[in-house]
Amino acid sequence: MHIPDGYLSPSTCAALYAGSTPFWYASLNKMKRRLNTQAVPLLSVFAAFSFVIMMFNLPLPGGTTGHAVGMGITAIVLGPWGSILAISVALAIQAIFFGDGGITAIGANCFNMAIAGSLVAYAVYRVIAGGSAIESSRRVAAAAVAGYCAINVSALLAAIEFGIQPSLFHDASGAPLYAPYPLHIALPAMMIGHLTIAGFAEAIVSGGVVAYLQRAEPALLKPTAPGAALPGESAGWAGTKPLWIALAVLLVLTPLGILAAGAAWGEWMPADFSSPAARQQMTAASSNQAPPAQAPAGLQKLSAIWTAPMPRYAPSVLKSPQFGYLLSAMAGAGLIVLAFLAGAWIFSRVRR
Amino acid sequence: MFRVENVVFHYNTVTALDGVSLEIAEGKRSVLLGANGSGKSTLLRMLDGLCFPESGKISFRGDAIDQASLEHDEFAHTFRRRVGLVFQNPDVQLFNPTVLDEIAFGPLQMRWPKEEILRRVEAAMATLEIAHLKDRPPHRLSGGEKKRVAIASVLVLDPEVLLLDEPTAALDPRSQSQIIDLLIGWGGGKKTVITATHDLGLVEDIADDCFLMQQGKLVAHAAPAAILKDEAMLRAANLIHEHRHAHPSLGMHTHPHTHRT
Amino acid sequence: MDLLAGAPVKASFIERSIEGLSKGLSFAALADASAHAQTGLLQRVDPRVKVAGVFTLIVAVAAAHSLLAIAAVLLLALTLAIASRVPAASLAKWVWMPVLLFSGAIALPAVFLTPGDRFPGLPVTAQGLRAASFLLLRAETAVSLSSLLVLTTRWAHLLKALRVLRLPVVFVVILGMTYRYLFLMLQTALDMFESRESRTVGVLDPADRRRLASATVGVLLSKSYQLSSEVHLAMQSRGFRGEVYLLDEFTTRGADWVWLTVFLAVAAAAAWVGR
Repeated sequence: MHIPDGYLSPSTCAALYAGSTPFWYASLNKMKRRLNTQAVPLLSVFAAFSFVIMMFNLPLPGGTTGHAVGMGITAIVLGPWGSILAISVALAIQAIFFGDGGITAIGANCFNMAIAGSLVAYAVYRVIAGGSAIESSRRVAAAAVAGYCAINVSALLAAIEFGIQPSLFHDASGAPLYAPYPLHIALPAMMIGHLTIAGFAEAIVSGGVVAYLQRAEPALLKPTAPGAALPGESAGWAGTKPLWIALAVLLVLTPLGILAAGAAWGEWMPADFSSPAARQQMTAASSNQAPPAQAPAGLQKLSAIWTAPMPRYAPSVLKSPQFGYLLSAMAGAGLIVLAFLAGAWIFSRVRR
Repeated sequence: MFRVENVVFHYNTVTALDGVSLEIAEGKRSVLLGANGSGKSTLLRMLDGLCFPESGKISFRGDAIDQASLEHDEFAHTFRRRVGLVFQNPDVQLFNPTVLDEIAFGPLQMRWPKEEILRRVEAAMATLEIAHLKDRPPHRLSGGEKKRVAIASVLVLDPEVLLLDEPTAALDPRSQSQIIDLLIGWGGGKKTVITATHDLGLVEDIADDCFLMQQGKLVAHAAPAAILKDEAMLRAANLIHEHRHAHPSLGMHTHPHTHRT
Repeated sequence: MDLLAGAPVKASFIERSIEGLSKGLSFAALADASAHAQTGLLQRVDPRVKVAGVFTLIVAVAAAHSLLAIAAVLLLALTLAIASRVPAASLAKWVWMPVLLFSGAIALPAVFLTPGDRFPGLPVTAQGLRAASFLLLRAETAVSLSSLLVLTTRWAHLLKALRVLRLPVVFVVILGMTYRYLFLMLQTALDMFESRESRTVGVLDPADRRRLASATVGVLLSKSYQLSSEVHLAMQSRGFRGEVYLLDEFTTRGADWVWLTVFLAVAAAAAWVGR
């Protein structure tokens, strides 16, 4: 999911650099205040750790292998602020030194993976793990779900960034100048692969490492589990308020940003799921998982639900099916997160 | 120079130091001798003001070394310049992109003028014969080279006390003897050197004074020759063990055996 | 230059991880050797000028709306690579091929999918062809430029030169320390995988494989913690009190100003032609 140079327009890149800067600044201040002189070595070594994790090939169900970003486990061990910085530094070195991810896209990649990924992972982990004991299996499930959600939110953000390019940036003949696929192709192409393969890679690393640390080094899990010593107390919400606010701001800003950009939606026809070329592209982009032969009926219905109640005077942007797709995809991702939260909660009750 | 009074320290539940008191004389080469886990490395770090006793006191020339005193800018500044520690693992100590940056790190923290920094860095590199490694990144150095760079990065501050943690560990014999020669010659043999080691050979080579430690306690303080002679005590401290092997002329026999690392 | 791609499908996850990790190490070795080549052209240019110049060119490539302008910059990068004695074969192996495979696969369907003027009898549109060319050409040109920077500049110099981009000192220091410990961690991970592989007889069942992978990451994580606290002590011991300082040793010569002018002029020209 490392976006290379040339996929996003300079203005998109600049916006995402600008969006990332306050998070970097705030994280660095928080880390320096909390850790004093320890911040520099801790962040450096963990950035190196994240870099190495991104190079691991992980065995997945079904005999395939995949890569993880590691934002789940980094956020659980370092907390969200440390994780934002460590992963950002790892991404910057990958871009500058190893050509993995573009230099103009460092802001975008950091925003998607380091910032949004770490915040989502931490928030989900804290809420699901709640006040459970350090060695409880609920923490393993919480970590796995956190990793899964985090990587999918990152992928969703990347897909949106890709998907808005063709309608915003094209030449006089209509040829897209940057990422050429509109939202209705970019979203399924990115999300199918991440909801299946990459999501599980992240879930396995986060959950597996938490399970390992419970046995080998429980002390490393303690800093992000302040309520763990007091069983039955639900510490999940109180300590994570600022994170939920940050997350909410992120989610609100995403569609607003799209609106502000004054997107000229509707130039593209809806996704042609039956076209062989489109299917080939989606297959390639989603790690050889064949997409369904029909456009998901649910998606179409959802988009209709969104567009139908829009008042007549709303800008046409809001009524376009593309916008509907986008919002329903976000809602869909939200539903999946909720389903996982509920599942993990039930799972932990049953196991006890 | 250093006075340690009844110091206690735990790592989680493990006792590292259990009521140690000792005094280290200025201008002497002292050795803290002990097996792994005897508490000698912890004590060395305390002398460098990197960790602090749970109870008991440590002082350097009469000034207390504790959290509060090292938070005081001026005191910390002087203390860090006067006392230098060479870590056992050079990878830990070499955290800069190049050898030059590594050696300049300490002087830069002291806010010396640039010309003086460069002059001192050159001198330290010359002493340790590492000028040719100047632009190398640390991950492309051999074990012996890393050790020499680590020592240079401490000596560049011209400290009054040099603390060494297993200085010859994991080095080939040639690098070992180079390091030992250097330590003997440093400062005309008049500076204070405190070495923590389990290497009995090193005691013979460099020590004027020897503290034997065992399970967090000081069990003996004597001249090196006296300690090296007391086989029973060295055996109790896990520094020698019976070793059975064959000699062509004598047949199978056993004798006390030490390990040099 | 996606170092993470391209492992054979059949290999075990351990082998593939080993391959990925050692690829990272060997690219670093290549870059190091190439950056030290004293005979090259760009190797002699002030790193700050190179950083400013290359980054401006990359932005110009991103901004240019003309395929010809981007191709001209790619040609310039190629010429500079040859003049700087960067072997074309390694450039092809490490830079062009991986990008061609990755971005090519993504760009190809656009040829068919983009709405526009169809060529008679073909499922291809002119707009689609243009869109795919933009994607691929921009990706190749940008990555050629950034690898040119890395292959002709010592990492330590590149790092300090990043200060011209107004990066705070503390970030420069963290980047440097990360890069330094990256090699230690890569080597540790490699050793761990290799020893596991030599002890693994037959085929592990999937759950065991996953447990093995997680335990490896877990061990690496706890080693990271120990390492960072030891490094912290080593820094404190030499007087570190939270503020970081750098030794700045660059000197700009007359020729460097000429280079800077050339870089900026080409970037401006590319952006203007392709506006």
